[in-house]
Amino acid sequence: MNRALTRISLACLVMFVLLLININYVQAFQSSTLAGEPENSRTFNQQFLIKRGPIYATGDGSNTLIAGSRLAKNGGGKYQRYYPDGPLYAPVTGYDSIFGKTGIEEAENKFLTGTASSLGLHNFISLITGKPTEGSTVSLTISPKAQKAAYQALLNDGGHEGGVVAINPSTGAILAMASDPSFNPNPFTTLNSATLDKVSQRENAAKNEPLLSRATQVTFPPGSTFKIITSSAAFSTGKVAGPNSTVPAPVNLSLQNGNFLINDAHGACGNGNPPIIQAFWLSCNTAFGGLGIRMGGATLHKYASLYGFNNPNLTIPLPVAESKAPKETAPPFEAFTAIGQFNDEATPFQEAMMAATVANHGTLMKPYLVQRIQAPDESVIQAATPAPLSKPITPQVASYLTQMMIQVTQNPAGTAFATVNKNVTGGILIAGKTGTAQTGVPVTTTDDAVFTCFAPANNPKIAVGVIVKGGGFGAAAAAPIAVKVIQAFLGKS
Amino acid sequence: MSDVTSSRATFESPVVPDGAVPMPRNRRQTELLMLIFAVVVVGFAYAATGLGLNDKIPASLLTYTAGFAVIMLVAHLAVRRLAPWADPLMLPVAAMLNGLGVVMIWRLQEAGRNGIAGPQGGPLNTLTASSATTQLIWSALGIVAFILVLAFIKQPRVLQRYTYTLGAAGLVLLAIPALLPSSMSSIQGAKVWIIVGGFEIQPGEFAKLALAVFFAGYLVAKRDVLALAGRRVLGIDLPRARDLGPVLIAWGASLLILVFETDIGTSALFFGLFVAMIYIATQRTSWLLIGFLLFVGGAYLASTLFSHVGARFIAWLHPFTLNNLNCGAVSTHCVPSYQVAQGLYGLGFGGIFGTGLGHGQPYITPLAQSDFITSAFGEELGLTGLMAILLLFGLLVQRGLRASIAVKDPFAKLLGGGLSFVLALQIFIIVGGVSRLIPLTGITTPFLSQGGSSLVASWALIAMLMRISDTARKPAPQPIQDEGMTQVVRAQ
Repeated sequence: MNRALTRISLACLVMFVLLLININYVQAFQSSTLAGEPENSRTFNQQFLIKRGPIYATGDGSNTLIAGSRLAKNGGGKYQRYYPDGPLYAPVTGYDSIFGKTGIEEAENKFLTGTASSLGLHNFISLITGKPTEGSTVSLTISPKAQKAAYQALLNDGGHEGGVVAINPSTGAILAMASDPSFNPNPFTTLNSATLDKVSQRENAAKNEPLLSRATQVTFPPGSTFKIITSSAAFSTGKVAGPNSTVPAPVNLSLQNGNFLINDAHGACGNGNPPIIQAFWLSCNTAFGGLGIRMGGATLHKYASLYGFNNPNLTIPLPVAESKAPKETAPPFEAFTAIGQFNDEATPFQEAMMAATVANHGTLMKPYLVQRIQAPDESVIQAATPAPLSKPITPQVASYLTQMMIQVTQNPAGTAFATVNKNVTGGILIAGKTGTAQTGVPVTTTDDAVFTCFAPANNPKIAVGVIVKGGGFGAAAAAPIAVKVIQAFLGKS
Repeated sequence: MSDVTSSRATFESPVVPDGAVPMPRNRRQTELLMLIFAVVVVGFAYAATGLGLNDKIPASLLTYTAGFAVIMLVAHLAVRRLAPWADPLMLPVAAMLNGLGVVMIWRLQEAGRNGIAGPQGGPLNTLTASSATTQLIWSALGIVAFILVLAFIKQPRVLQRYTYTLGAAGLVLLAIPALLPSSMSSIQGAKVWIIVGGFEIQPGEFAKLALAVFFAGYLVAKRDVLALAGRRVLGIDLPRARDLGPVLIAWGASLLILVFETDIGTSALFFGLFVAMIYIATQRTSWLLIGFLLFVGGAYLASTLFSHVGARFIAWLHPFTLNNLNCGAVSTHCVPSYQVAQGLYGLGFGGIFGTGLGHGQPYITPLAQSDFITSAFGEELGLTGLMAILLLFGLLVQRGLRASIAVKDPFAKLLGGGLSFVLALQIFIIVGGVSRLIPLTGITTPFLSQGGSSLVASWALIAMLMRISDTARKPAPQPIQDEGMTQVVRAQ
């Protein structure tokens, strides 16, 4: 019978080999196909079964938890996201829901869930040691002090919507990114899809569009703050030699289409041919409109682009809406572009980048939100390295612009003297530029208020861009918000 | 000739002092060492599961592991006394599989309890908070059965006396669930149980052993006539029509199980067992051919006549169609494939290395603790772990077959071959079904699945194989009177 037994052994061997081949096929080769099956709830559930990495704001040496995970009540071991300060950091964190994510939650999802390929080794070690795959910690450059000041100031601006962005000019680290209106991300973290549907519908239907970050997602006319770019172009192309070189500033600048460009003060600008520095602190439209026509739309477009305009692909790593300064060819529109009207559009983020460029001696650093990412064992997976994005102007031109922006706030005739002079700011020397952008309605109280600035002017630590929609005068509505942010960040109030 | 003698003598005798017969080692020390290894692996698996579930080493780690170790140590001591020459690998392999099964049942029982991740709406309703403890108690009863088999069956041929008694007992055991009302025999559609006062017994598991003994006894008696009489057609020796009787009866019985107990797996298992044993007994390929044709014919007939058999085929071919996945809940005119699909998702989710014990979601798959326990292992231990488990089963089968080849008694040979084959076939049917190699038929996975009958029967099966192995390896009795060494002719 041994021959038959040997053959039966062979049959058993064949059965085991078939099983082994088949499980190899299912588990090694079909694994990803199975994971992609629409009805496979394991893949979907998995993301809630691991502890998602926390997000910290570490901007001013603090370590403030702004997004964490904890076990959901009666959630069957699933983790749920929570945001201790809700709307304050919502424009940064976004939300993490079972249907989708926004903000940093979306941009750094792979690290927060611990599935990024650069975590492969860590995950493999966790597997061997039996530790669960945990999410990585994401530390942001956001300064809680600056962020709080910005959000509070926006809430207290009389019900206008607006956005504030603050950047460290020498590195590009983003210190604050606040929006009013904002939203509470906590209701989005529900594990119940019906509840989430309701929350999502409510927030999306809200008239004031709270999910839209006014800091990075909405553009406004930059108004007179664009004169920083016009001046940069004028100095760089040699049209104007220095801050004390004079520029023609008529009462009415005749545009070829028969219209006139006038100054906001409805009068002359200095003696009609003032030094550019005076035209700048007075914010004369005719002087800069004239410069715009003389330099041409292409030059303005070029310098605006160097400052960060016309870039639809900027990510920090959240996408930032494109600020626009189109290439105008007709002189009237060249004049309007030069003073930040007509087709010009800017986000508060772009405003902050403008001031940051001047503050950093003409070099625009690539803005970033993520300071570092650490694996659960605290080893650093990724750390930010500051890098220049562009060099719009020379250090020489940057120093001219710094002088001019200081005069805006410190010269008694400067547009922002009343709200930003050294006595008001508690001794902080702020260099800035106001903007009061007409929005088509001929009443100044409905203009968009814009302010871009940096401080301290002689050793810049922070650059701030503020836009308050319908706030009126930039100096009155936007500048005080910037001052509060700077005071909070520099520790003087 | 003298050269051969000389070399053999020098080969066997270097450490043996003159005058003593060299004794082959019985390898009990090896068994103990391997058994300790198995217990340690199970203990580590238990600790790893606890850490995976809630970052805590289970409070009951020591008691559980110690309990398990004591049970297995008792088995080992029993083997030392009752079957000292048995294969040293079978007990450790079976112990490790048994222990891993308990760990997985504990893992599934904890899902959804004490804040541990689990299915929505609380723990699995098919498990209680003491399922693992119950399984451990059943393990102990399994070892009791193991020891009883070794104690009462001193020689495999003792069983030969009870050929027809056991045959009748096997048929009765098989038939009972079919005759009982559904309330006393049916759990989740499978009418294979005897339910008395809260106790659930799957008589088929024991019938398997009884019938294997019956087949072995019957075939040893009739194998000459089955093998020799007949005609040769097209190079194949066909048996006489009247000798076809037994195989037809076995076929009919397995079809009856299929019809009345709606249990395709068990019926395939019995038929496969019978055909394999008749082949071993007669060495005639024609029996394999006849058996195969009868099986295919029966399966085809069954799939057309009985909707529940045909449904298995459709679920096998189309497990991922939405209609089948949601069958019962949403769809009509469909076959339910939810369980098959979930099992496959689990296997795929485990991938090559697995999620780690306690980190997967095996609780999503219905009956992950019984029919689909290999899918649960595949998910949490990965392809690597599941292959290791399959190789353990393979090793068990191989040791059983090896013992059958080595043993001289034809009855023991036949019984060992049949039991080893039925073990392999059972693994093939259930793991193949879970991993979609063949249509799914619900039978238990020996040693791993939850359930006392299966565990006790599996331990009894191992005891029989170890008895056969012990008989095969036992050295011939030494003459009482020392007649001196066989003279060795030394070549000069």
